[in-house]
Amino acid sequence: MKTYHDIATDGGSDVAGQVADQMARLSSRLARVGHVVAIMSGKGGVGKSTLTAALAEAFALMSHSVGIVDADINGPSVALMTGVRHHVPHPVPGGMSPATSASGVKVMSMDLFLQHDSSAVLWEAPSQRHAYTWRPMVEMGVLRELIADTAWGALDVLFIDLPPGSDRLPNLADLVEDRAAAVVVTGPTAVSHGVVARSITAAADVAGLPVVGLVENMSSYVCTACGHEEYYDRSGSGAAELAAAHDIPFLGRIPFDSRLALAADRGEPFLAHAGDAPVGRAIMALAARMKDYLQL
Amino acid sequence: MALQEACGPFEGTMSIVYRCQACDYRMAMLTNQMETQMVRSLGVKIGGRAREAAPMETLRTNLQGKRQEVAVPDRAKSASKCPFTGVVTEALEASQLQWTAGAQARMARVPAFVRPMVQRNVEDYAAQSGKMVVDESVMDAMKGQLGI
Ligand SMILES: Nc1ncnc2c1ncn2[C@@H]1O[C@H](COP(=O)(O)OP(=O)(O)OP(=O)(O)O)[C@@H](O)[C@H]1O
Ligand SMILES: [Mg+2]
Repeated sequence: MKTYHDIATDGGSDVAGQVADQMARLSSRLARVGHVVAIMSGKGGVGKSTLTAALAEAFALMSHSVGIVDADINGPSVALMTGVRHHVPHPVPGGMSPATSASGVKVMSMDLFLQHDSSAVLWEAPSQRHAYTWRPMVEMGVLRELIADTAWGALDVLFIDLPPGSDRLPNLADLVEDRAAAVVVTGPTAVSHGVVARSITAAADVAGLPVVGLVENMSSYVCTACGHEEYYDRSGSGAAELAAAHDIPFLGRIPFDSRLALAADRGEPFLAHAGDAPVGRAIMALAARMKDYLQL
Repeated sequence: MALQEACGPFEGTMSIVYRCQACDYRMAMLTNQMETQMVRSLGVKIGGRAREAAPMETLRTNLQGKRQEVAVPDRAKSASKCPFTGVVTEALEASQLQWTAGAQARMARVPAFVRPMVQRNVEDYAAQSGKMVVDESVMDAMKGQLGI
């Protein structure tokens, strides 16, 4: 009896060849990208997307060419935060056109393809029942397309804004192989630290991604009137300890500032106007540490 | 073994029957909705590609609720010379429509050897009339076709 491995061809489909073509496209795209940096967290709502947008702006202000892939396929928010939702990607030589934000950051997101603000992301299928069997495969393919089929041109850094959790990490590691590094974001609370600890392990041990370091967001509140800074936990060393326990650098703390949230809601650049505020300085300092790590 | 018939997809399920010319032994291969959909989800073409994939082909082709301005790539035709994969791909590419149980039952009465052709004609007619579902009214309108 013949086994699967004795069958020499697949009936002319050349599925393996087609997959190899997909991966070749991806490699030739990434060949023009200096660094891929994934912004991740096990915890939702800690500011991954906000920091991705702000860091991309910071790198653009330092005259680097940067792009963002919104890898949150079902909950995209980067297009809104960078003010590019009007852009409809269209075929151009070499791929699909990315959007370009006011600060010159190139952006590709599911959001740019969807008709309505409230449109759910649904894929053609005879039935949406039992979609759990195939949906992860579509999403993996779509993430590959968003990275590989966008006409980015030459980039110094391509940021990847990941959805919360660590489900997408092995996918991403498969796609970008040894080209990506991860920045992990946490909130200031013990609950946040606990969940994030697992995702650091998932990034480093399971997906094998090098971790640039840990950032704590919304650590303190800065009064916009008098400048007084109020910490969630002034003595708080939780995030630093978490980083030390996983042997990764602690990259710093970012204060809460409603102006940052407002700029994100409006899709406006933040650093160009409020770079002097404590939150602006903290983001620029974070960008500087990342630049050192990436040797840019 | 020779390919005898390929049926479907009806709501994502397909059956493909082979027959031995010497002893008339028949073997059927069935796919369920999930299997059919899983193959489509890989972004590869069963039967091979005649030309390179368009950029973001999976996303642009399969996303529902797209902005109207999003250009959808032409469906890339398969390159296969293999009758099996050719038939399967053609059927998959043709069928984006849902079939009601009544319409399926009537299609099942069509002789197997012409069924793929009749199915294609019915679906073309439904698509031209702007219908998303093949129901008995579509079958009635196509009554002239053999056996419906
Ligand atoms: N440092 C900050 N100061 C003020 N507001 C902030 C700050 N960081 C994040 N926010 C706000 O908190 C909310 C959540 O942030 P964001 O969407 O970036 O989180 P996320 O981790 O990407 O969420 P998700 O897990 O859903 O992807 C947003 O409304 C954002 O504007
Ligand atoms: Mg987010």
